[in-house]
Amino acid sequence: MAATVITRGYVSGLENKDFEKLAVPLLDGLYNFACWLSGDADEARDLVQETFVKSLKGFSSFREGTNFRVWMFRILRNTFLTSRTGLERRNTQQEDESGFEETVVSQETPEITLIRRADTELVQAAIAQLTPLFQEVLLLADIEEMKYQEISEALDIPMGTVMSRLARARRQVRDYIVATSGRKKIVGIRS
Amino acid sequence: MNCDWQEKIGMYVDGELEPAAEQAFAGHLQGCAGCSAAVLEQQELKKSVRLAGKRFTAPPDLYASVRKQAHQPESVKPWWKWSVVAAAFVLFAVFSIVWFSRSSASGQVDALIDQHVTTTASLNPVDVISEDRHTVKPWFQGKLPFTFNLPELAKDSPFKLLGGKVVYTQHAPGAELLYQVRQHKISVFIFQSRDVHGGPSAGNKTFVVNDWHQGGLQFYVVTDAAREDADRLRALLEEANRS
Repeated sequence: MAATVITRGYVSGLENKDFEKLAVPLLDGLYNFACWLSGDADEARDLVQETFVKSLKGFSSFREGTNFRVWMFRILRNTFLTSRTGLERRNTQQEDESGFEETVVSQETPEITLIRRADTELVQAAIAQLTPLFQEVLLLADIEEMKYQEISEALDIPMGTVMSRLARARRQVRDYIVATSGRKKIVGIRS
Repeated sequence: MNCDWQEKIGMYVDGELEPAAEQAFAGHLQGCAGCSAAVLEQQELKKSVRLAGKRFTAPPDLYASVRKQAHQPESVKPWWKWSVVAAAFVLFAVFSIVWFSRSSASGQVDALIDQHVTTTASLNPVDVISEDRHTVKPWFQGKLPFTFNLPELAKDSPFKLLGGKVVYTQHAPGAELLYQVRQHKISVFIFQSRDVHGGPSAGNKTFVVNDWHQGGLQFYVVTDAAREDADRLRALLEEANRS
């Protein structure tokens, strides 16, 4: 029997019994992602459990060579989009993506200092104020450390869109931190 | 700052540049203060987001719960697989013959439960995706030899229409409408009464099945939500199809 091999999320030599071994280590990341998307601990728990149920059901048809981690996040994200909160957020917080031109800072560094000194709560508030389109791409890139191609597959959007959304998300986080600098704004989560 | 390289900053920070391009960009940074500052800022930002973004940790009981879900019976040995598949196929064929010959009432309901589970497990559960009944109902025109009404849901209704698709059972076409109540999905199946013969399930205790006959149509509400939810949705459907 061939051993299961996992290379950056890609799986080969798969057996059904490997599901737990592959999926459970992703739980914290999935739960964190679900909390950010839904903004509610109970809903995040339901989303993660539903994701596991769906992925377990579909595991027998899981194609070798597919990126398992991307597959799991994709299921979670699709589950969220069809949830009540997901539909509400999708329907009410779409944002025009056109007309964005990435700008970069010049030589001055006060902003860099502010970002470096920003406390965790301020950065969390900056992430929380993003719309879902930008939030999800930022979370997958910077927290899950997915490559652009992986994010493209997880969110089912073109690579170019990944890059433009990521640039805009970072710009908004940066502007929020700089503008708020010093004024702590704590965005809580219902639990 | 107006530098031709600035569009590469994000890719450089994310390690997405090819080795040659990365090396060239690194060389450029030696002489471009603007790009250097921008890269440093992006790197600091990325680090801050990574640290702050790992905010929520799955509670221990969630770990226990998903581990329990994940514990499946040991899979069969690979060399058994094809024979098991073949045996399953034969069993399915035999079952189908028995099923069609008897038109078993419980078989009909069990098939609809299976259909409901298949739908909820699918990444594309419906073919027409809309919360608007005036979009979903017309979509079935020309696809089904009958029509039906969908209830208008109040704004504060716990039910939400997600969409629908055409399904077949006993060689007859029907509609499957997908609703959501909280985190649960509800399938509503509608067939012409002459086409299907259904009754109470053979004993599935996991799903609630609520079926009734109305105006020449046979309705089935299938869900893992509470029976009260199924009853409430049935009442709304009955009212909508009363006229």
